[in-house]
Amino acid sequence: MRPETVGDGEIVRAVLAGDRERYAQLVERYRDRYARYAARMLGSADAAEDAVQDAFVRAYDQLAQCKDPNKFVGWFFLILRNRCFAERRRNRNSAPLDAADTVAAVERADSGTETAERRRALQHALLELTPDQREVFVLKHVEGLSYGEIAERLSTSVASLKMRMHRAYDKLREELREDT
Amino acid sequence: MTQRAFHPLVKLLLDGDITLADLPADLRAEGEEALRLLGAIDRTPVQFPGMTQRVMQAVAQRPSRERTLWHRIVEPREVRVRFRPWLLAPALAAAAAFVIWLGRPAPVATPTAVTVRFVLTAPDAREVTVAGTFNQWDSHATPLVRTGSTGVWTATITLPAGQHQYAFVVDGQRWVPDPAAPAVDDGFGRRNSVLTL
Amino acid sequence: MIAALALPLALLAMQQGIPDRLAGRVSPEIAALVHELGTAAAARGLPIDPLIQKAIEGSAKGIPAERVAMALRVVATQLDTAAGALRDAGFAGDTVAIAAGAFALTAGLTGRDIAQLARSGAQPSEVIVGLRVAGTLVALGVPPAETVALVSATLQSGRPAGDLLALPGQVQAQMAKGIRPAQAAAGLARAAAAQGRRGPPPARPQPPPHPVPPPHP
Repeated sequence: MRPETVGDGEIVRAVLAGDRERYAQLVERYRDRYARYAARMLGSADAAEDAVQDAFVRAYDQLAQCKDPNKFVGWFFLILRNRCFAERRRNRNSAPLDAADTVAAVERADSGTETAERRRALQHALLELTPDQREVFVLKHVEGLSYGEIAERLSTSVASLKMRMHRAYDKLREELREDT
Repeated sequence: MTQRAFHPLVKLLLDGDITLADLPADLRAEGEEALRLLGAIDRTPVQFPGMTQRVMQAVAQRPSRERTLWHRIVEPREVRVRFRPWLLAPALAAAAAFVIWLGRPAPVATPTAVTVRFVLTAPDAREVTVAGTFNQWDSHATPLVRTGSTGVWTATITLPAGQHQYAFVVDGQRWVPDPAAPAVDDGFGRRNSVLTL
Repeated sequence: MIAALALPLALLAMQQGIPDRLAGRVSPEIAALVHELGTAAAARGLPIDPLIQKAIEGSAKGIPAERVAMALRVVATQLDTAAGALRDAGFAGDTVAIAAGAFALTAGLTGRDIAQLARSGAQPSEVIVGLRVAGTLVALGVPPAETVALVSATLQSGRPAGDLLALPGQVQAQMAKGIRPAQAAAGLARAAAAQGRRGPPPARPQPPPHPVPPPHP
């Protein structure tokens, strides 16, 4: 990660003061940070790209309402999160995973089709969860956050997160069993 | 709970609180199934190289910040603002409203005139005015101007110090009190907003 | 008419003022009612402007005449009640003070609340602001008891009128953080009471003394 020479707060304040172009620095900084989260939440990289782009534009529009400019990224995450939750669940038949599969194929060319197939199956199963359940699963197992970190980010309790997650585990098991 | 539910100990394994070796022998197979599930997780990073350009293109179409209400705040300490969290569902209309006091003179003596900005968010409105005791409740006298594409309407006027009541008039017929301002009964079964300067 | 010469000056002014302001804005029957109520009000030293305003408001909003008439009578009653409360408190106020008191009643305070505020011992001009601010606080959701306590404490602490006017904003700011209006007001009242005992804090620049208002007629 390259060193951050200018803090987010300074950029936010500059943009609010009228220096529109500096917003590009924030976009550069964070455009990929939640891309994977959005992709796993929505089931496709295309949908994720729309969601992230939308969230950045919304964040620009609402920038004055960012209570703590130094914590822009946390505030931005909530905007993106809401956008992901608002997205209607895609039709399961509509082959949503092409782009994600392409990326997976490029990165893991050596793994067998069986792995790719299991990946696809799990992503499909994830889409069967409620957004809340899917989110805690993605944040912990894809993004690698601890329950404590997730609880802080979502302003909820570790106990309720665990409850959600454990229901998610059971639903996933059921979904995956049915597929085989 | 379904028949396919994982054993609670296996859930601890999934959470990473215990290892496979900690499971009793009869749960070993279920534990391995759980770990295979985790192994199918795709953690490939996702990247959007063209994102910055597209975002900045969209942003370029927004009106410049100088015309939005926040830039006009001269002395934030004297601004009284209350706003609702931004609404996501576009179906909800005309919900958030602001009243900003600008240019308040130093509290040496009671000011005789105060500049006030009225703001109403009403994306679906075609016309918004403000009517109140300061303009004889004339619903045509003080139009708000729509800024940009976000459905925010504003008007800045100078009012004498004292007590004022007002309401917004949307599309010439719908009287809407300012939801973020104090409200009193108007005597006709509705509410008026109160401005005490 | 010779009889008109015996009427108080205010009444004469009103007789001229009402037709001008209502012309073209209200129906003839409402104008007549305003005239009737206004005459009686002026004779008792009450302000007539609130009546005129309410009539214009009702017409602008397209309210049926009977409803407007009801509202006008309510306004007249409120003016009367407010005047009585101020009199009971020994407050030498004018029509502006009565109108402020009537607003406080509209917001939900009682005559007793108004009398209590008027007895705070502050300057009349500040009591007027206090009544308006009290009505505004109740309109925000602060219960009457806490409102009266807060405004009284602020009036008695001798702080400038600007501080009174800032109270609703301070309460709203706390409400935005999830603090209930009653609690917000109670906290501000404690601060004001403490201020009153200590005097203004040294860190704040001292404002110049207020010009003394002219004695009321």
